[in-house]
Amino acid sequence: MSTQTGRCCCGGVTFAFDGPPSQATACHCTQCRRGSGHYWAAVHVPLASFQLTLSDTLKWRNSSEWAKRGFCAECGSSLFYQMTGEDSINIGAGTLDSPTNTQIKRHIFVADKGDYYELTDDLPKIEAY
Amino acid sequence: MKTGGCECGSVTYRSEGPWRDIISCHCEECRRTSGHFWAASAVPAEALQITSERTLKWFRASDVASRAFCTDCGSSLFYRHDDKSYIAVGAGTLDLPTGLKLVEEVFCHEKGDYYALSDGVAHHDQWSAAWKAQDEAGQ
Repeated sequence: MSTQTGRCCCGGVTFAFDGPPSQATACHCTQCRRGSGHYWAAVHVPLASFQLTLSDTLKWRNSSEWAKRGFCAECGSSLFYQMTGEDSINIGAGTLDSPTNTQIKRHIFVADKGDYYELTDDLPKIEAY
Repeated sequence: MKTGGCECGSVTYRSEGPWRDIISCHCEECRRTSGHFWAASAVPAEALQITSERTLKWFRASDVASRAFCTDCGSSLFYRHDDKSYIAVGAGTLDLPTGLKLVEEVFCHEKGDYYALSDGVAHHDQWSAAWKAQDEAGQ
């Protein structure tokens, strides 16, 4: 089985998982938009196949009652989103090394999208989740 | 006047502008930092008022530029090139309505392989025409 790797901008956080990853989801909720600076996209990976290979600068923050976000405390990269009690993790697709072996397949929370861009592809656009 | 802030609200800012229209950047640095790709407006540095900055951290991202994020929530807020007099502001951190529009996509040759660029806006492999115009205007 192939191994997919990734890292934050400064390299303080690195990770790997057994590939290939899931299809990617783009999220346009307000949290993802403010956190990323635009909107976020992520792949969904079972924790059983996920490994943090370097986590010295990884910081977790409870971003809501049901989820936490992981980012690099050194460079601020938006790395992870994890729902409480789930045995999987969402990984920012931009932090994956190329080739990523994934494709964005849907947009979610488009009701909350920013007003300065249009979604011009033909992918499903879901109002919420 | 436009206002904005990070996800957790610890960093806030405002500015009368002038606010540049929005450019998305697909360089590897922007992609890793944002977790997808970054998009930003920009204002003259002296016109940006950071109204709450206790958790704002500047990170030396390359030999020529620094980026700023919130140490509590990781939000990708600002980018400043050493040779520029303006600060780029993450468009997703602006409060709505922004009144701005995406006009260009840059560093498209470094884009991720898992998404398509937007239709209807200019695509450049490196720097953009809007940036050059802003430089020439001394902003």
